[in-house]
Amino acid sequence: MRKLFLFVSLIWMLNFSYSQIKPNEKLVYAASYNMSGLMTHIAQVKMETEIMETYKKSFLHLSCEAATFSKWDSFFKIRDLYESYVDPKTLRPSLYKRSINEGGYTKTEKYIFKPDGKTVLSNSKKRNKPETKKTFTVGNSTQDIVSILYKLRTIDFQNYKNGQTKSFIIVFDEKEIPVVVKFMGNETVAAGNLGTKNCFKIAIAAKTEALKGKDKNLIWLTADAKKIPTLIKFSIPVGTGQLTLSNATGI
Amino acid sequence: MRQVYLVIASTFTTLSVVFAFLPLGTLAIIPIGIAILFGILALKKSDAKQGKLVKVLLLFAILSLVFVVGKEVFTKDEVVVDKQFDTKKAESKKEAKKDLEELEDLE
Repeated sequence: MRKLFLFVSLIWMLNFSYSQIKPNEKLVYAASYNMSGLMTHIAQVKMETEIMETYKKSFLHLSCEAATFSKWDSFFKIRDLYESYVDPKTLRPSLYKRSINEGGYTKTEKYIFKPDGKTVLSNSKKRNKPETKKTFTVGNSTQDIVSILYKLRTIDFQNYKNGQTKSFIIVFDEKEIPVVVKFMGNETVAAGNLGTKNCFKIAIAAKTEALKGKDKNLIWLTADAKKIPTLIKFSIPVGTGQLTLSNATGI
Repeated sequence: MRQVYLVIASTFTTLSVVFAFLPLGTLAIIPIGIAILFGILALKKSDAKQGKLVKVLLLFAILSLVFVVGKEVFTKDEVVVDKQFDTKKAESKKEAKKDLEELEDLE
């Protein structure tokens, strides 16, 4: 009986000590950009999760890195790294880091979310400019740009009706930005090594100049408990592009 | 008019060849398309003796198109091992651990 209780407890712990997002998940995407009407593969995007142990706690480290394919490196090399350290259960961020290197333009950013849930300490450094430090306040449910992608996967879209929305607040470039996600039904999408999957189609709208068009920024999540992003389409001021899932492991 | 078409076709054929060799992906299709279009127009305005140069231009434009499409189809997309980037990632993790532990001390 004791063993049974232990077994049940272990199963419960495995299921509930994390949100739907588990550590050691690795999703690899091919990023394409629309050039002269044709989608051209330009970079590889990797989204990974792992546990980071500190001396008191465990954090879930969510990382998202983009690297141009070798044929583009001599022309326009991109090495971007976006990271978020979040609570494994709530996906609430404690630390957000961004380090971009795009064709020689570099920028680093770090947001430390203080334990009071309201204050963020930011450090920002652009190429050839001095480092700036700032303290600003955010709401207690504000996410960063990496953790919001994972937070999206915890929503139960199964019970959503077409056109139903949900709002979030994210912090980006030291500003809070409202984000609205809209459920747009189900579609079948190619999902790399996972085959063809029935997916939830979600439109993302944010009050920012970075994203353009109504219902032009879309994400397809597998219509199962894992909600793996299989296809992401984006519309930005300089064009359109997409991320297609090529390989998913550890899910 | 033939001269105008010929100048445009020559300019864009040169651009097509240059774009085809640069890592610009399918972007090269724009000058190739223009070169072929104006090449055909110039060919229509040419008599039998004048058509030779235009045919050469069209040949280069078509070869550029084949080269670009071939590159897209047969070149494997791969990311090179970037030790500098890997070091940066490892350092970022170390720094993050330090920041998170300092944050815990504030709780």
